[in-house]
Amino acid sequence: MNSAELLQFVASGLQNGAVYALVALGFTLVYASTGIINFAQGEFFMLGGMLAVAGVRFGLPLPFAVLASVAGTAAIGLLFERVALRPRRDSGPLVLIIITIGGSMVMKSLARHAFGPNELTLPPFSPGDPIVLAGASIDRQVLWIWGLTIVAVIALTFLYSKTKLGRAMRACSLSHDAARLMGIDTARVVMISFGLAAALGALGGVAVAPLTQTAFDVGARAGLKGFAAAILGGLGNPIGAVVGGLVLGILESMSVAFISSTYKDAISLVILLAVLFLRPQGILGKRGREKV
Amino acid sequence: MRRRWIAGVVVLALSASFLAGCTKDEGAAGDGVTKEPYRIGAVLSLTGTYAGLGTPEKNAIELEVARLNEAGGINGHLVEVLYEDDATDPAKAVAGAARLIEQEEVLAIIGATGTGQTMAIRSEIARAGIPQVSMAGGSVVTADFDPLVFQTPWPNRTVVPFTLKALKERGLTKVAVISDTGGYGVDGHDIIVKEASAAGVEIVTEETFNPGDTDMTPQLTKIKAANPDVILMWSAGKEAAIVAKNMTQLGMKTPLVGSPGNGRKEFVEGAGASAEGFRFAAGKVLVPDAYGKESEAYKVATDFIARYTEAYDTAPDIFAGHAYDAFLVVSDALGRVEGDVTPASLRDAVENTSGLVGIGGTFTYTPEDHNGLTEDELVFYRVEGSTWVLDK
Repeated sequence: MNSAELLQFVASGLQNGAVYALVALGFTLVYASTGIINFAQGEFFMLGGMLAVAGVRFGLPLPFAVLASVAGTAAIGLLFERVALRPRRDSGPLVLIIITIGGSMVMKSLARHAFGPNELTLPPFSPGDPIVLAGASIDRQVLWIWGLTIVAVIALTFLYSKTKLGRAMRACSLSHDAARLMGIDTARVVMISFGLAAALGALGGVAVAPLTQTAFDVGARAGLKGFAAAILGGLGNPIGAVVGGLVLGILESMSVAFISSTYKDAISLVILLAVLFLRPQGILGKRGREKV
Repeated sequence: MRRRWIAGVVVLALSASFLAGCTKDEGAAGDGVTKEPYRIGAVLSLTGTYAGLGTPEKNAIELEVARLNEAGGINGHLVEVLYEDDATDPAKAVAGAARLIEQEEVLAIIGATGTGQTMAIRSEIARAGIPQVSMAGGSVVTADFDPLVFQTPWPNRTVVPFTLKALKERGLTKVAVISDTGGYGVDGHDIIVKEASAAGVEIVTEETFNPGDTDMTPQLTKIKAANPDVILMWSAGKEAAIVAKNMTQLGMKTPLVGSPGNGRKEFVEGAGASAEGFRFAAGKVLVPDAYGKESEAYKVATDFIARYTEAYDTAPDIFAGHAYDAFLVVSDALGRVEGDVTPASLRDAVENTSGLVGIGGTFTYTPEDHNGLTEDELVFYRVEGSTWVLDK
């Protein structure tokens, strides 16, 4: 194997990994502010691609369709939290998690009815020949995926460390009760984190749709991969989500390169389990602590 | 306040289940006929990976049921088709088939869409003793012989040798195989490997991908290093378009040849410019001139194409054709049963199908052959200008 081929495998891994990272960030944001796993996260990924296709068919120029789809999905995320989850917020995490599973089914069914069962195509953001980098050719859309992921991560870091809302979110992740005592509107923080999670998922879905097409049923797989990435990196840690996503993507493409394409999902799962066996808190996670 | 939200959610959930329920009532028969309608079950993949196959199948069956019933049904009986969605999941296919058998007491089952689902419901079929007409292209459906199971598409054991021969004729003898890990891909892959040397081609490398995968550049990078004359892809899902696009991305000029499963307009749309020059073998429905303009098959096909296009605003693909054939096989057999229709008499009538002109070919079943199609029903296509033309 020469270096150009190796680079091609790495590029492929980073392409999938960046998408996993965006979905994983959504899991992590919601987990940090609520302590629950939002199993509807994959559906936000699906909605991102589908709404953009709908926007283009409706006649919106592509950039507007993409923005509208991300904003629209964020609104759906906010609404989902407000309508389905908040009324039961005192019922304990298990009930809330089951509500998110129900929510994912409803979103998937509605998308199936609204957009039909077939795969739909979104035009590339900037059409053109792939870019050749040291022998590895990279589709222009992949540059968009990487760029958007980097922008999302920088924006999130800024939000977390520099803004009042970010501080409120961090406070919520430490202790809801203490945050509420400090005058933080925790309900609002939870709702916003759902909106942000939905926007991140949608961003992943819309960025990858020109490469892969999209359909009403792509959410489950995206959710699974994103969840694995979030766990691998350490749930609740945004940098961990990104690292987890990229590591998972690279693991998969290296499994194809050096072992077998048939077993690549199994291989990456085994490595995921092995990592968790050695570091149950994930690569960058902190030791779990008991909340009272 | 809280009540109102709960009420809102309940209303939403109810309207969702109402939407889901709508599709189920469309097959109901009209009034005014004294004879009991014939009830047939259909297990289709209306959602999941094969939704793009199952949906045209359902369209075709509904079209033909309506036409048959308007013409008075079969010997005075109307025909009622009851649909179950298996969501491209073998377990759900079994549950759907069981429901059709236990609760609806159907005389026969059309389906499933996919090979895995078709094989999964075999035990239910055996228990009920009713005939099953499958629309799945896996060889195993009829090669793993079951007296109750019939098949309308050209199985891989027919298509693969035809395709390999076409490659050889075009001087493309160093073949790289890429297939999916679903039932259809595995079945096709195994037959490609088995038939390669007989067809005079050499397999230089083999790669696979999983249904749902979004990037095949790693597999293609390995294939590129093996330097084949042609890449032969066996997959019926949406991943096929990604393979074509990834090849363009990697700057690969190697020709890509696929399976009948790629004869879908979603593939051409999804792969865009990368689909140009893509070749595959399939039946003649995509370019009906291939039947020969004087033939009966041409009349049958053009009539179906015209009616389907009028009803659904799009031309039928090969899957709609397989479903047309499956319903034709069952309704033709129902018309030939003498006396009471029982599962056993219907099965015998299906097995006696002879010279029945359909879309995928002319069907003649025998006690040993429940597929009855040959390479003569196949032609080689090429994608050109976003549509299909014959590749001579």
